[in-house]
Amino acid sequence: MRELLRRLHYLLNRRRFDDELREEMAAHRDMAEQGGGVRLGNELRLREASREAWGFMWVDRLGQDVRYALRAMRGSPGFTATAVVVLAIGIGATVAVFSAFNIVALRSLPVRDPQTILRFGRLAPERSASDVPYPAVAFYREHARTLSAVLAQTESSLSLDDAKTSASTFFVTANFFDELGARPSHGQLFRAGDDRAEAAPAVVLGHGFWINHFGSDPSVVGKPIRLNGKSATVVGIVAREFPGLAGDTPDVWALLPHHGYFVHGSQVLTDFSGVAMWGRLSPGATPESAEAELATLTGELRRQYPKDIWENERLTSHPGGRAEMTGVTEVFTLVGILVLLILAVACGNLGSLLLARGASRQREMALRSAIGAGPGRLIRQLFTESLVLALAGCVGGLALGSLALKGMLVWTDAPAWFDSTPDWRVAAFTVAVGMLSALLFGLTPAVQIARQKNLKQTTTVGRTILIGVQVASSCVLLIVAGLLVRTANVAASSDPGFEYERVVVVDPSLAEHGYDPARARPYIQDLRARIRNLAGVEEVSVTSTPPLSGLKVMAPLQRDGRAFMVYIHQVDPQYLSTMKIPLVRGQNLSERDERSVVVSESLARRQWPGSDPMGQLFKIGDDTLTVVGVAASARSLSPGDPDTVELYRLAREGDLPGLALVARTAGPPERLVTAIAAAANSVEPAFKPRIGLLKDRFAQNLRDIRSGALAASALGIVALAVACLGVVGLVAYSVAQRTKEIGIRLALGAERRHILTSLSRQFRWIILGGLACGVLGAAGLAQLLRRELYGLSTIDPIAYVGAIAVFLIAVGLAAMWPARRALRVDPLVALKND
Amino acid sequence: MPTVSMPKPDMPSGALVLLILRVLRSGPLHGYAIAQRIHSLSSDALRVEEGSLYPALQKILLKGWVTAAWGTSESNRKVRFYRITKDGVKQLEVEASQFDRQTKAIQAILRTA
Repeated sequence: MRELLRRLHYLLNRRRFDDELREEMAAHRDMAEQGGGVRLGNELRLREASREAWGFMWVDRLGQDVRYALRAMRGSPGFTATAVVVLAIGIGATVAVFSAFNIVALRSLPVRDPQTILRFGRLAPERSASDVPYPAVAFYREHARTLSAVLAQTESSLSLDDAKTSASTFFVTANFFDELGARPSHGQLFRAGDDRAEAAPAVVLGHGFWINHFGSDPSVVGKPIRLNGKSATVVGIVAREFPGLAGDTPDVWALLPHHGYFVHGSQVLTDFSGVAMWGRLSPGATPESAEAELATLTGELRRQYPKDIWENERLTSHPGGRAEMTGVTEVFTLVGILVLLILAVACGNLGSLLLARGASRQREMALRSAIGAGPGRLIRQLFTESLVLALAGCVGGLALGSLALKGMLVWTDAPAWFDSTPDWRVAAFTVAVGMLSALLFGLTPAVQIARQKNLKQTTTVGRTILIGVQVASSCVLLIVAGLLVRTANVAASSDPGFEYERVVVVDPSLAEHGYDPARARPYIQDLRARIRNLAGVEEVSVTSTPPLSGLKVMAPLQRDGRAFMVYIHQVDPQYLSTMKIPLVRGQNLSERDERSVVVSESLARRQWPGSDPMGQLFKIGDDTLTVVGVAASARSLSPGDPDTVELYRLAREGDLPGLALVARTAGPPERLVTAIAAAANSVEPAFKPRIGLLKDRFAQNLRDIRSGALAASALGIVALAVACLGVVGLVAYSVAQRTKEIGIRLALGAERRHILTSLSRQFRWIILGGLACGVLGAAGLAQLLRRELYGLSTIDPIAYVGAIAVFLIAVGLAAMWPARRALRVDPLVALKND
Repeated sequence: MPTVSMPKPDMPSGALVLLILRVLRSGPLHGYAIAQRIHSLSSDALRVEEGSLYPALQKILLKGWVTAAWGTSESNRKVRFYRITKDGVKQLEVEASQFDRQTKAIQAILRTA
């Protein structure tokens, strides 16, 4: 320990100690000379050997190398700028994506003590649910000792006073804001005790909603607003950065006990439908101890509610202080691969830049090894230069990445609590990527240059590989972009298999309003008849899953050992004709026969390949259904996924409260929205169904696809630009090397186009090889995209050929620029050179 | 490729440390005097080059077995005097007895084998 301190002391004062050592050794020599000794050895080297004992020579060497690297970088500003920019692009792209992943998947939500928050779900041997019934939540809140607080939330969409705007509303327990440390930006938030059911209904506005809908008017606090026709007082506006717990923030926050006040007929507080439940661990409690205690409490609950609490039910917990977003892994796998490709292009590019520089530094290297630097020392020095470059690239990449992320967040209208400021994870990731890229682009050239052996040949091999990597990676990116662009076109122009231009969707959400099947039946029948009688309506039917609504009912099927999901549409016999989905074979569903089912052509092909689907028996859950007809395939629920298969069966008694209506109109559907709203009002004035146009949903869907295509294209273009830069460098280098040869050939009367041909022959195989690898890579990557491609083949020739054409044209143009120099070579000058 | 000539140590460095500590036990000495003393005490058999003396001195300085202080030599030069510490004396005893055992063992082998 003391020795280490002394060492550090030496390190910090090493200049003084070095001087002392020099003086001391000089005295020694003088005395030795006087004593008749011989002066032997290199004084500097001897001193270095003594200093070696201090154990910090590497610091000195590193310092030397870094100083030297900085000097070399200053010496060639053009190279340095290109290298840092290219590297910053590559690192920046990965950093931006990692930061986004960090926000949605790694980082805790910016709420108070996110580590002690748990989200609970129900689990029994046979079934599970992510929501917990409110009566159970109340029971747990009353009795659980391991939880210091229990939070609950349920979501509803309410219509604002003008009835055209709908406001997404989170109904929460009164302790929600306090427990999460939320602050108001104006007014106040809910406080414990506010949730007595008899308290005057109060709401808190979401920050974004306050800005967009109330024009940031602070005087709205204290004023009444009408939601679903019910009056409530705005008590405050929540701060912009409050994230809530569900990964999304609503327009309006209200209190859970008031759910029934706003949502006509709601029984969420008394029935067992369920709300999202979180708990805050008491000091000293662990998730395991909480689960154990709650399991005991659930046992007691089951004695009170034997029908509603499942047999052997218990609560499971997982960390609740994180954003819970679905599909994050899939999206980030894909995007992560794309940005890593950009990084690969950048590294390839830098590698070839360094090699080219190495060739021009041959003399320097020869000199250095002549005065005693071993290959190890040279590699270390060259690698240090790469590290310094990588560090500069890290700084640039971090800035660029944060900027790109900020832009992305604005562009995608991300929640306000998404904080693009880098944290330690992002910083560590940046440094790691920087070091990795230093290894990728720095080590091979360093070894090759330092070895000095047959530099010209190895350099060419190295460059070939590095250019090949760039070609292949940017080619993959361009093809993926091409596929997505094609998808956007296909999705916009092809027939989705169902009518969407002239369809109005009416969703009364009867279940939410506490309707049971007995009350739902007359409502649906009445509303349906009224809409049918409106002038301009051609046909009306019902379905449990309106097209593109995000609602999905699926059942697992198995065929030849491979499991797949079938989308189940619970409809009436008019559904197929209303949506203009043609019946290809057999009969339609019939009201009289609940056991009949119509399958899509895709399902028929999948389930009974090569045999007749008609009359086949089909098991869904406990029901055995008979196939009576085959309808054309119509991917109305998951339009991008070509693997979807669907079936249509009659909606039964129990499905009634969950049904929505779809109406096909003769003319433009917009005209009927008001009339349909009036019809609904005359059936039941207490609440208003949500009324939407299918073509709006369709357009939104297309916008999403186009955004994806645009983003992929941007990545592709960046990669292409960097790769073109690499090609320019390569061709310029090769022209410079062959100036003499070209001069001779020109002098002997070669035509200029022959020179070009010979130049291009040199690169043809690199480019072709890179392209081939790129095509293979893209075909593999496209498998991940399959479900989003709208049935477009993953090897769609137009996308591939188009992308390759774009690539070749860009690279060709880029190569022409330095190649022109080859044509301008003056034979005389070229030969006189040297 | 030209090579830099390196003075080769005349003895194992462990033994050199032992000898330095031993000659310092009778009083502080400067570097050249240490070399001289070893040279003369060994009846001119052992020769200590600066290339091995100063690295060894730096090493035992770091270990804390000796301390160094600037002073003036007999010939009126500014030199650094090395003085053995308590730790150094202890180390010397340990190493001397170890060295003793080793040489005895080696000699026993040389005699009998």
